[in-house]
Amino acid sequence: MSRNLVWYCLKKLLLFFLSMLLLSLAVFCAAHFAPGDPLVSYYGERAEKLTPEERAQAEERLGLYDPLHTQYLRWLSNALRGDFGMSYKYKTGVLEVIGKRLNNTLLLGGTGFLLIFLLSPVLGILCARFEDKPLDRLLCWAGSLSSCIPEFWLSLTLILVFSVWLRLLPSSGAYAVGKAGDWESRLTHLILPLAVVVLSHLWYYAYMIRNQLLEEVRANYVLLAKTKGLSRRQILLRHCLRNVLPPYFSMMAVAVPHILGGTYVVETVFSYPGLGALSYESARNQDTHLLMALCLLSGGAVMLCSMLAQAVNERVDPRTRSGGGMEVERRG
Amino acid sequence: MDDRFAWAGPPPAEVPPEPPKRIPLEIPWISWFVLAVLLLGCLCPVLPKDPAYMDLAHTSLPPSRAFWFGTDAMGRDIFSMIWYGGRISLFTGFAAAAVSTLAGIVFGAASGFAPRWADALLMRLTEILLSIPGLLLILLLQGTLGKPNVVSLSLVIGATGWTGIAKVVRTEVLRLRESGFVAAAQCMGGGFFHILRRHLAPNLLPSILFMVVMNVRSAILTESTLSFLGLGLPLEVISWGSMLSLAETALLSGAWWMILIPGGFLTAALLCVTSIGSGLRRWLNREQSNL
Repeated sequence: MSRNLVWYCLKKLLLFFLSMLLLSLAVFCAAHFAPGDPLVSYYGERAEKLTPEERAQAEERLGLYDPLHTQYLRWLSNALRGDFGMSYKYKTGVLEVIGKRLNNTLLLGGTGFLLIFLLSPVLGILCARFEDKPLDRLLCWAGSLSSCIPEFWLSLTLILVFSVWLRLLPSSGAYAVGKAGDWESRLTHLILPLAVVVLSHLWYYAYMIRNQLLEEVRANYVLLAKTKGLSRRQILLRHCLRNVLPPYFSMMAVAVPHILGGTYVVETVFSYPGLGALSYESARNQDTHLLMALCLLSGGAVMLCSMLAQAVNERVDPRTRSGGGMEVERRG
Repeated sequence: MDDRFAWAGPPPAEVPPEPPKRIPLEIPWISWFVLAVLLLGCLCPVLPKDPAYMDLAHTSLPPSRAFWFGTDAMGRDIFSMIWYGGRISLFTGFAAAAVSTLAGIVFGAASGFAPRWADALLMRLTEILLSIPGLLLILLLQGTLGKPNVVSLSLVIGATGWTGIAKVVRTEVLRLRESGFVAAAQCMGGGFFHILRRHLAPNLLPSILFMVVMNVRSAILTESTLSFLGLGLPLEVISWGSMLSLAETALLSGAWWMILIPGGFLTAALLCVTSIGSGLRRWLNREQSNL
């Protein structure tokens, strides 16, 4: 048994490693062919004024002249030793740049994830209990409206209402100037982006719970429980919900990186200094090392979470063992 | 039932089938109507003003009798821009959904038909693709195609949105490929694409219909988000998203009509498509509750 377990873990680890390798290769090639000039991100405005000789010198120094595979192998051998290179724009180690912003992203995405995780079962159960009653209709209507409104437009509208018209909340940044440690300032800056993150994701998960509960409700054991004289509430909470929660947990495990990393649109509109905004900047300016590290970070998180979810699911529900890939869906 | 033995006993009594419990079929009429109005309006060749004309004497005007929805910071008439831009937004949505549906069906069917190891490999590749954030992937892909235009943007959006459909198709194909009619077609020398077109696609369509409609929605959403961020269509190509890319300046001057009106149309279109999609799904699997 334990030998099986070790073998299983080894296999998963190998698979994970191979996937990361492939991912890094793909991102490296894509980043190379994408538009943008690494020298612009290195020198900023001055890059335009460089003479051809200076350009050639700079490219030589950054190793941009070497053929693509040499560059990749150099990156790989450094990365395996824990050195992910230097950001062209910030001129410091990539990990340092990411570390500075990780807190902000974790704060926004983490709080958002927690709220979504707790609220969506409540909404889903309410809807399933009152199927086709006014409450369900109201929630479904409001929910599909909230999930249809584009994130960026919701952000704009909220800024228009709460910052421009009512002047209640700040419209950009993670904290007021010079108040990095002030919790009150952080909180007021968090409200609007958080509202957008929660509103735009919440209904997707709540609706899934609602639909799965509605499927459960049509099963025969519900009839049996009803003839036994159980109340609707007992049937829903004790019997139906139990069957719905395991897939919900695994889905939420996969959703962690998506909600955490999927906040880039919100980050951009609110000028919130997080990882999402950083990855766009790096992709547009060919800040290759930074882009690679960010992609590997988010890709690794996605794969790790989906593998964990799959492992847990296989333990809980043996029926899923033979099935192929995990249900991973792109959100955002 | 074998007729040859029917004379041996009394003919079996006709058992009338139980009348199925009726669930009223709801068609989201309002959504169909609004979508039809939007489509007709966008296809209407006559616009009150030239949407691209910059009337520099009338910039940033609130809605009035002359300019029904006001003008933007460059003096363009927003009412005309809405209908003109809608063409591009809706076209991108439908074109991208078509691309992704086709890619999803082919990829999913290939994966379902392939031997086990190839299937596992293809699915693994899909997961790797999914682990890159969607917008980032589009950005990188677009770079290889050069300056974005409507067609290339639809292609790129379609090329990143097929994985969900591929997964459903793969599961369905795994189920269907054991069935007799596929084996029969293979025995008669039918190739992969022949079987896919004539035998599998008709069986698959109901189960992916909902996803196709949802793909239209997410493609419209992606196009507008990209254009809003300045990563999609350039500013001079009018779409609902690129109209909103001027929103930052509009926010500063409090020009609500530049933000609320294009966004309202965008949201209305998305809402219609969504409710049509979920109406379809409800209709495809309706059943009575036991609770």
